[in-house]
Amino acid sequence: MFQNLRLSMAWLHTWFGLVLGFVLMIVFFFGALSVFDREIDRWAIPSSRFEAQPMPSFDQVLKPVFETMQPSAERIDQLRNKVNGPVPTHFTTPSVWGAYTTHRDPVLGLFVGYEVPNAKEHDTRVFALRTIDPRSGASLPDDRLKIGSSFFYPMHYSLTFYWKNVGYWIVGLAALIMLAALVSGVIMHRKLFRELFTFRPNKNKQRSLLDLHNLTGVVALPFHFFFAFTGLVIFAGIYFPITHTQLEPLHELHERLDAEETGLPHDRAGVAAPMASVDAMVVEAQRRWAEKGMAGEVGFLAMRHVGDANGYVSIYRAGTDRIALTGEGIHFKAFTGELLREDPPSSAVDSVNEFLTGLHLQHFRHWLLRWLYVLGGLMGCVCIATGFLFFVEKRKRQHAKQGSQGARVVDALAVTTVTGMVVATLGILIANRLLPDSMGAGWPERQAMERYIFWGAWALAMVHAFLRSAPVAQGRLNPAWREQCLAVAGLAVVAVLLNWATTGDHLLRTLSAGYWPVAGVDLFMLAGAMVALFAARKLKQRAQRAPVLRPESSGPAHA
Amino acid sequence: MPDSVTLLFAFVLALAGMGWLALAMEAHWEQVYGEAVCSPALARRLRWLGGLSLLGALLLCLAVDHATMAALVWFMTLAAAALVVAFTLSWRARWLAVLLPGIRAELN
Repeated sequence: MFQNLRLSMAWLHTWFGLVLGFVLMIVFFFGALSVFDREIDRWAIPSSRFEAQPMPSFDQVLKPVFETMQPSAERIDQLRNKVNGPVPTHFTTPSVWGAYTTHRDPVLGLFVGYEVPNAKEHDTRVFALRTIDPRSGASLPDDRLKIGSSFFYPMHYSLTFYWKNVGYWIVGLAALIMLAALVSGVIMHRKLFRELFTFRPNKNKQRSLLDLHNLTGVVALPFHFFFAFTGLVIFAGIYFPITHTQLEPLHELHERLDAEETGLPHDRAGVAAPMASVDAMVVEAQRRWAEKGMAGEVGFLAMRHVGDANGYVSIYRAGTDRIALTGEGIHFKAFTGELLREDPPSSAVDSVNEFLTGLHLQHFRHWLLRWLYVLGGLMGCVCIATGFLFFVEKRKRQHAKQGSQGARVVDALAVTTVTGMVVATLGILIANRLLPDSMGAGWPERQAMERYIFWGAWALAMVHAFLRSAPVAQGRLNPAWREQCLAVAGLAVVAVLLNWATTGDHLLRTLSAGYWPVAGVDLFMLAGAMVALFAARKLKQRAQRAPVLRPESSGPAHA
Repeated sequence: MPDSVTLLFAFVLALAGMGWLALAMEAHWEQVYGEAVCSPALARRLRWLGGLSLLGALLLCLAVDHATMAALVWFMTLAAAALVVAFTLSWRARWLAVLLPGIRAELN
């Protein structure tokens, strides 16, 4: 099909990169934002703007909250097809209570998984979720969207298309193609090391674009490779769903054997039992961690088979001081508080897996590395965006002569996924500051409105990109690039000003108080505004210099 | 020394190392020093100096964090340093002369 390996690699890199590049752009950008998802949550939910808190007392604070938690009407509604007979409205048998926090969380997320009576499949659970202020146990309003951890972060790995998990599959395919693009890119690139430091902004546009594409691709190559790869490793269970398809019986058997070996009961005994003090178990777990030279805070606490004689409590350590995602779990009998099991040291395979997933999920406390990850993610965005632009630049003059619309369409899609995505991101933050506390009757709830505005802003940016794309068909620049850069700059400043106006937290206050979560988000947006303004100015200069190319024939360009 | 200062030194060392490695390449040497010729011996020394600095940066990273974390910090620091050196060569190539103080006088 092709004369040599390099040409076939070039074909693969160009076309697969073009098609899935649009997805990868979203994955990289929202991945970079997700590094600071908790901080974006603080910006979006002003009532949660206080210092990070440790796991509170279970006996005093968490237990009373868990006991009142019930699934939302929406979640109960989703059970309709999974139950024989009517769906219960009140659930009484909790199979699990869980509380999860990190060193960056002021508020605490709780969940309860209830057994569903008369369920068609025996493992069916319905979940109740709540966010509390761990200092008092008071609940935060349910309808506040945690824009960082519940929207930008899921966008990163699922595009928030949950129907049949289709979003996960698209992102997984994109990650796989990204690995192929990296390998083919390295093969195509003749001078990987000789041009490692090469960026020639004053050469012709194609050369400059390719330089920047290579530079951002090559210097961060280990980052790009490991993140695409570990992303696939993390979701291997979704991409190879054998445990609940072909190998279901084996999986069930393994679960039972595992329970026998670990002494952690697989099922309820069916005998009600009270629970001992969980706080005492936490103290014991922390003592055991300290004994191993790993003193630390509790990250995840779970109680299984709640209220049953087989109930047990699992306490996991927050992994702030290492990359590997290990919990050093210690398990106690809920009824008596006696120690059931201490997780043994990981096997070699487990250690590798824990390192790879930990590297991607970053539970560690290391602000420099976090920022370097943001840099890596943004370099990925630049690499993909310059890939699009190179594709367009290489073809647009030829397409202009032929009267083809190919370059025009790709360019408009590039505007949509580059500047349009940033417009949408700022749009949801602005909506978050402007929408009333509770939407009136007949309106969707607030968090749904925020998401609609995000998609609406993105759709508008797309319409704008296509409406203004005519000049590309004549070999010129789409003015939408410049206009959307200006929009980004304006919206970013508006978002910062609205944060001030609606919460009183202006930069002088947050900076002098050293409250970095909010100050950081504001500063990042202002820095983005400056970059966007600079880009708009450069684009204007370039547009004024550009020659005009017209199709050679005067009539309709082609039949 | 506070960790942040150690990490700052690691970054500076990575930056200098990448700069020396770049200067050992003919095209970039020309961007900084123009016509003056870089002898093969000097180029070799620059490569050594560059390589050792990057290694030094790794040791500083290891002094601060758990080895697994230090490895990631180092890799990402190298990426950032390479990017800074590349952009310096694009717009302010002569600034890299600061890495070889005294050499300009020698060349003239």
